[in-house]
Order: sequence, then structure tokens, then C-alpha cells
Amino acid sequence: MSEELEITELETSELLEIIHDCLYDGMAEDVVAGVKELLRRGMSPYDTLTQGLVAGMDIVGVDFRDGILFVPEVLMAAKAMKAGMAILRPLLAETGAPAIGTMVIGTVKGDIHDIGKNLVTMMMEGAGFKVVDLGINNDADKFIQAVREHQTDILGMSALLTTTMPYMKVVIQALKEAGLRDKVVVLVGGAPVNAPFAEAIQADAYCRDASVAVQTAKKLLAEKRNQVMVG
Amino acid sequence: MNSNPSERRGYRRERKAGHASPPPRMSPITYGLPVYELLNEDKIEHLHQASMRILSEFGIAFYDEESRSILKEHGAKLQGDVVTFEPGLVHEYVGKAPSQFTQLARNPENNIVLGGNSMVFAPVYGPPYVLDLEERRREATLADFINFVKLAYLCPYIHHSGGTVVEPTDEPVATRHLDMVFSHIKYSDKAFMGSVTSAENAADTVAMAEIVFGSEVVRQQPAVLSLINVSSPRRFDERMLGAIKVYARARQALIITPFILAGAMGPTTIAGTVAQQNAEALAGIVFTQMIEPGTPVVYGSFLTNIDLQSGAPVFGSPESQLGLYVSAQLARRYRLPFRGGGMFSSSKIPDAQAGYESVMVMLPTVLARTNFVLHAAGWLENGLVSGYGKFALDCEVLGMFHTWAKGLDLSDDSLALDAIAEVQPGGHHLGTEHTLRHFRTAFYRAELFDYNSAEKWQENGSQDSYRRAHKKVKDLLAAYEPPLLEPAVEERLRDYMALRKKAIPQGVY
Repeated sequence: MSEELEITELETSELLEIIHDCLYDGMAEDVVAGVKELLRRGMSPYDTLTQGLVAGMDIVGVDFRDGILFVPEVLMAAKAMKAGMAILRPLLAETGAPAIGTMVIGTVKGDIHDIGKNLVTMMMEGAGFKVVDLGINNDADKFIQAVREHQTDILGMSALLTTTMPYMKVVIQALKEAGLRDKVVVLVGGAPVNAPFAEAIQADAYCRDASVAVQTAKKLLAEKRNQVMVG
Repeated sequence: MNSNPSERRGYRRERKAGHASPPPRMSPITYGLPVYELLNEDKIEHLHQASMRILSEFGIAFYDEESRSILKEHGAKLQGDVVTFEPGLVHEYVGKAPSQFTQLARNPENNIVLGGNSMVFAPVYGPPYVLDLEERRREATLADFINFVKLAYLCPYIHHSGGTVVEPTDEPVATRHLDMVFSHIKYSDKAFMGSVTSAENAADTVAMAEIVFGSEVVRQQPAVLSLINVSSPRRFDERMLGAIKVYARARQALIITPFILAGAMGPTTIAGTVAQQNAEALAGIVFTQMIEPGTPVVYGSFLTNIDLQSGAPVFGSPESQLGLYVSAQLARRYRLPFRGGGMFSSSKIPDAQAGYESVMVMLPTVLARTNFVLHAAGWLENGLVSGYGKFALDCEVLGMFHTWAKGLDLSDDSLALDAIAEVQPGGHHLGTEHTLRHFRTAFYRAELFDYNSAEKWQENGSQDSYRRAHKKVKDLLAAYEPPLLEPAVEERLRDYMALRKKAIPQGVY
């Protein structure tokens, strides 16, 4: 495309700005072109990720929080981010760059209401997380198996029904029994869920919406990694 | 979102630049819902016959000699002040009134159609008090008047600048009509209402409209719409008759509205009250057509009841809504544009009572396909108070009524079968091509109603809608910029006002 010709002539700082714009506007092809150009110039995959994609998605997150962007726009931005990540992910693994994090997510047993969970998935991917989406109606075994299988940093559970939300406690109990509870940050959400409930079942946090989920995931993960380094 | 991504680049920058946007354009309503017919034709005919009996046997008083002689000349019978009309005479003259007409606005894009499926919302009319942004109930001033004109100008769901949006009590009674008409012209470019407090004040209004629109133009199409009240039961006073004569002779539009609080100014039943109201409205309409056949005139209804325990007026009563439906049906029977309803309440503040009562009246107002809805925003305390916060909240609900009254679109794009096919069972519609084309305007988004989670609402200060409304009003007034008015026209208006202010003897007020 003609713009690839054009972007080779830009200063790197300008190119980063363009990538931020393209993410904001949900233009996946242009984001991919921008990422490739940064790599061609010798920028490390990690810097490309943080200065190009993550910084761009931060702008999207702020404008979504402030009521400027609509959900479908954020979805398009997240898709553009994902397209950029598809190029970077193998390179990041090769170079041993620190991963942003991996999340396992699903609705709990008995609950098939997954729109909220899908929004969280989209936003987490938009923030650069790798998300393993278990879909709907997951029992404790499925969650535990997935946490073991992937290098999981965060476990997200969602429920819409007051009759299914107590199952989150069963999953957390099972995590403990499997010796995995301390290895993951557990986030819970869903319309009837609140912070006292999250505390009562010994989850790490309740997230009231998808943008809070991203913020909370970043914050708790940073704290956890800090502790590990200190400890 | 655009399907061609390259066209979208720079969208973020556009948004960030946040250049000042002009006020949103007025959004007219073409009614697209079924019209609610409370009574069948036979029953409407029954009410009509009752009104004909009131007109032919009991009569209506006209407290003005010239008016009575005009009526007599054209075939009505006199007995002292009281005028009686035979059904044939009523039929003949009501038939001369247009079933639909256009009122000119200073900005032609804001011209309004009165009649047919057109629905026009106008602000509250008449309150001597305001409930201000500090939540003080105080006497209204010209500054308040100007503020409400500005707010009506800025709201896309208000189609008309209205009339006495508040009574500017800090201006002398004898000349305040000049300030009011001038303020409508200066601070808005929507259509406005004229002074009816005397023949002279009506003449001033016409003169000022002629300065703005040109005297030939306003004879072809009305630039002023004025509210004539019948002082029910069954009488027109000298002031109102004086105003009717001036406006009809100038071919300016009139709304003939019996003002009836059932139980006091009408019987304690809705059927009887509507029969009386109908007779009163028709008498006034017949009179306008005798003065000048073809004068644009609106059939008006302002009907509620008193609380028979205390004597206080009650707004939003269930009985008044039955009366509203039937009044609209009668207006349609005579092929006349209809005025009625509004966001009425007896509450002193914009609380739950105000919200419930207002919507209780506004729903039938819309379903009756009311052509002109005065008091559509700002009304509090039986019409004694214009509320700033109430005005903003009412505008929000008017926006919802706009969306609803259009009815249902059944086009292929609206049926969206492509989108339904695109989403697999259990998937979601947030990313379909259809959603991306429509999401920004798909659903009405109320600014003043909170859709956040409880936690976010708490973070935002746990504000109720009243607080949010106050902030909105402050923001709107701070950002207001007046519509362009030709300096030469403004100067002529100011000269006219100065001349008249010198000429009009100041009363004792």
C-alpha cells in the first residue's frame, strides 16, 4: 500500500504517533505495517510493543474510560492491537523479553452468560495480555487444568447469576488444594458480584467492568512480580 | 466507522482537536406512531352535540363591544355580553381555518409546521418565579428570561423559542413585552410567541416581527404565534379580544385555549369539562375567522382539575389525560392543529413527583399526536416556577420522545439479517459490520441519566440527575454563542423599543 512508502520517510517518533492513531482508529493493516517498519529500523520487539502498541492502547483505554470511545471502537482497536501482537509474539519469545502476562478466563459452571467475559477478553488482549478463553460453563477442573497448562498469571472468572456466582468459591478452593492459588492473581466479575463478595471468597479483586479489569490486572501483577523479586 | 480504513486515519486527531461545534440542529418530529383514539366516532359526535348545545343555548361572553358587533354582523346572536352561535354558523367559520400552516422562524431551517403529523415542542410559558441553579425559588428577571431563551435555542429537541418563558418581573409591566420579544429575536433564531396582554402590546409584537421578516412576508405566512386564553367558564376578556383582533387582522397565528381547572372552572367530570372547553375554543376560532377568514389558528386545550379538598390545582392527574386524548380527537374532527399537554407537575422541585407527573402527561400528549406542546420543558409548581434543572431534565426526556415518536423502521438495513447471519449462536454483535456502521447513533444516549455501575457512580460523586442537570445548564450557558442577527435589523429593533418605551406611559408598577 502507498502508505508503506510514506512511513519509511517518517521520523521514528512520528511513526510511533501514527501507530497510536491507527490503533485508535482500528486500522489493523496500518498497525501491522507500522510495527514491521519499526522492526526494520532495528527497534527491539519489546520497545515496539511498549512504545508502539501498549502506549497506543493506553490512549484508547483512557478515552473509553472517559466516555469518548464506544465499545465497538475499542473492539476494533483491540483487533488492530492483536494483529500487531501476532507479529511481535514469536519475536518476543525469541528475545526472552518479559511478557506482559497470560490470563485464563471463563464463565463458571452453570452460567452461559459471556458477553461481559468477552469484553474483558477483548480489553485484556488490547492491553497486550495473552488470553486463554475457556468459554462458558467451566468447572473447577477445567480452570485448574488451564492454569497448569499455560503459564498463567491471572485467572478471571465471570458469572451473571446469583445462583452460579458461589461456584467461584469452589474454584478458588480447588486452586488452593492444587497448590496453585498463590501462583495466580484471581479476578472476579459479573453483574451481581461486588467487592465484599470477592473478599469473602478470597479472590484478589472484583472488577466492575472491562477497563477496570485491565487496570487491576496490571496493578496486581506488578505488585506480585515486585514481591517475588523482593522475596 | 468507515469500511475503508485509510479514510479513518486522523480521526483521533480530529477528536482531540475538539474544535467548537455549532449548536446541534433542531430536530423536527414527524409523528410515526398510531394516533390514540380514546373514543369512537359516535361518542365524539355525542360530545360535539353537547358543545353545540352550549354554544347555541347557553352562549359565551365576549367582554368587548367591537368584538360583539363583529360577531353580530356575521350572524351570531347577542344577549347582553353573551353571544350564541347556531351549529351551522360554527361549521361555516371553523371550516375557513387552515388545517395546517407554517410559522416562520428567523432562521428558515427552524420554520415549524403546525398541523398534520408534525409535532412541535416549546418551553414553559408564564412563570413569575424561577428555581435557580443555587436551588433558590425567587422572582424571575429579564436575565432569567434570556437564559431560558438561550437554553431553548441550544436544545435540539425544543423546536420553538416559546413566549413568556419566565415573567421578567424586574422590568416595568407596561414595557416588558418589548424586552421579551426582542430577547427571543436576539438570543434565538427559532420561531417565537407574541404578547397578548393588550391590543397595543400585540401591535408592538407585529411591528417588531415586520422589522425582522418584512411586512409583506409576514402577511403571507405568520411569524408570530400567540396564546389566547379563554377565561373559563365561557368568557373572553377585553385584553385577549384586543390581542385576537390585532393578530387576526395582521394574519398572525393564534392558539385559542380555554384554561380549565375542572371542579372550579368546569364541572367535576371530564365529559362535561371537555364539552365546555370545546364550545369555548370553537367560539374563539369562529371569531378569528369572522375577522379575517383563513387566519392560522390552533385548537387549544389546557385542562386539568383542582384538588376538591384544598382547592389547589393538580397537574398530572389521571383524569386530565383522558381529557387530553378527547380534546385532540375533537380538534382532528374539525381539521384543526391541536395544542395541549406538556411536562406538567405540581411538585416544587425536580423530584420523583415532578418526573412521574411530567411523563404521565407527556405520554398521552405524544400519543394524542399533539401538534403544539407548550410547557414541554421547565414547568414546576403548577406553572408558577420555571426550573433550570427541570428544563434540562425535560429536554432529556423530549429527546427520548423524539426517538420513540418516529416509530419503527422496517427497512432491510433495520432488519439487519446480514448481521444476524454473521454472528454465530452465543457470539456477540459488537463487532459486526452493521454495528460498526450504526453504533454511534443506534440508541438514544441520555446525558443526564446515569448508566454506570454503582461503583463508578459513587466515584463520580453519587450525583442524582438534578445535580447533573445543573452542571449541564451551567456548561450550556457558558458555551452559548448568539445566532447571527444583522446589525441593521438589531438597530431598528432597538430604535423601535426606545421609541415605544418613551411613548408608553409607565404605570404605577
